[in-house]
Amino acid sequence: MNRNKKNGIIGIIITIIILIILVACTNSNVNQLSFIENIFNVFVMPVQNGFTYLKNKISGNDTFFADMDTLKEENAQLKQINSELEQSLRELEVIKAENETLKENLNLKQKYSDYETVPADVINRDISNYSSTIVINVGTDDNVQEGMTVIADSGLVGHIISVTSDTAKVQTLVDTASAVTSTISTTEDTIVVQGTLDDKTSLKATFIPTDAVVLQGDSVETSGIGGIYPKGIHIGTIREVINTSNITDRYALVDTAVDFTKLNTVLVITNSETKK
Amino acid sequence: MKKVIAVLLLILSFFIIYFLQSNFFTWFTIARVQPNLFVIFILLIGLFAGKKVGLVLGIIFGFYLDIVIGRRIGVSGIMLGIIGLAGEYLDKNFSKESRITIILMIICSTIIFEVGTYIFSLITLPVTVEILGFLKILFIETLYNVIITIIIYPIIQKLGHILEETFKTRNILTRYF
Repeated sequence: MNRNKKNGIIGIIITIIILIILVACTNSNVNQLSFIENIFNVFVMPVQNGFTYLKNKISGNDTFFADMDTLKEENAQLKQINSELEQSLRELEVIKAENETLKENLNLKQKYSDYETVPADVINRDISNYSSTIVINVGTDDNVQEGMTVIADSGLVGHIISVTSDTAKVQTLVDTASAVTSTISTTEDTIVVQGTLDDKTSLKATFIPTDAVVLQGDSVETSGIGGIYPKGIHIGTIREVINTSNITDRYALVDTAVDFTKLNTVLVITNSETKK
Repeated sequence: MKKVIAVLLLILSFFIIYFLQSNFFTWFTIARVQPNLFVIFILLIGLFAGKKVGLVLGIIFGFYLDIVIGRRIGVSGIMLGIIGLAGEYLDKNFSKESRITIILMIICSTIIFEVGTYIFSLITLPVTVEILGFLKILFIETLYNVIITIIIYPIIQKLGHILEETFKTRNILTRYF
């Protein structure tokens, strides 16, 4: 009996450890696991080197050792050049990011200056894996009504689906029931972006016109068609265009401008009627 | 009196679980999929406290969830009610003293709850059918529920028996004597 109890506790501890490892592994970047790769390399590389040496020997590659010194020297030079290039690339990326933020801020100020907005905090998030709604702390007392558009500083969040006196439920863009008619800002082509079950950070853009040229990095904005969202609110950027055998079925994946996992404050547009 | 206190404690437990689900488990996920603690909770109520308590609390808690965060009122209420009701029938046919049967019950309940909810949302909302995405999430969610059940199994047994003594004393007597 005592032994069974002991075994049970050990089983539970092992399950907890497995759970923590699962959570950590599935939520971390592959890049962060490079130390595991290093550990594997320590064991695998000597064997692999041995095999390479044998293979070269068999195929009569005698220049293997002769070229070794030259290759080492060349490798060191290339490494240095590479690190210099990486350094300048990092600097450029910082400047680029800064530039983008400044541009975004300038655009936002011009774009949303005509709207009357009510600031709100996110007080509750969806507990289901299959939908994505949030609850904010403003309601009819703050002149917030059903159907109003909700935005964050980086772009569109969604629209209000129900409202009480001091709270409102918002259906976000990434919800599977959400479909927004939008335009690609560079070509002005109309597409429909929908939430998917697979990924809560991106949207699926469908109904892409057959003659439309859709490029990675193109910005997507609301089109104003449909009556819910006002025109010109930033939704996100196109990450990837998936071509299918039938061009009418092709679709694109759009990265949302708003990070819904870290969304804490939003703005509710209360006078969007004037902009339609 | 004992029953009233037990129900109040169950309501308190629901709010603790709700807090865990909407805070802790929103980031402690397996591949961004959360477990569904409510299914585990209601099934265990049905198993140990009987179908009446399971059904009523399932419906009340489900409706609360629908009102607070759901997109359509009623679906969670109905599905959790069914899970609570099923608890007693499962208890009559299977032994809840075994870890494996409890785990199998949790797997079935999670699948029934999520498939039911998904079908309901497909009918009532403009949702596109994504079978593969749905199955992927369902698999991870069920696995997560199983892991949690294994971890909390000793607590389930202890609290379950207390609950059973409170709600089912008469039943046990008639069944065994």
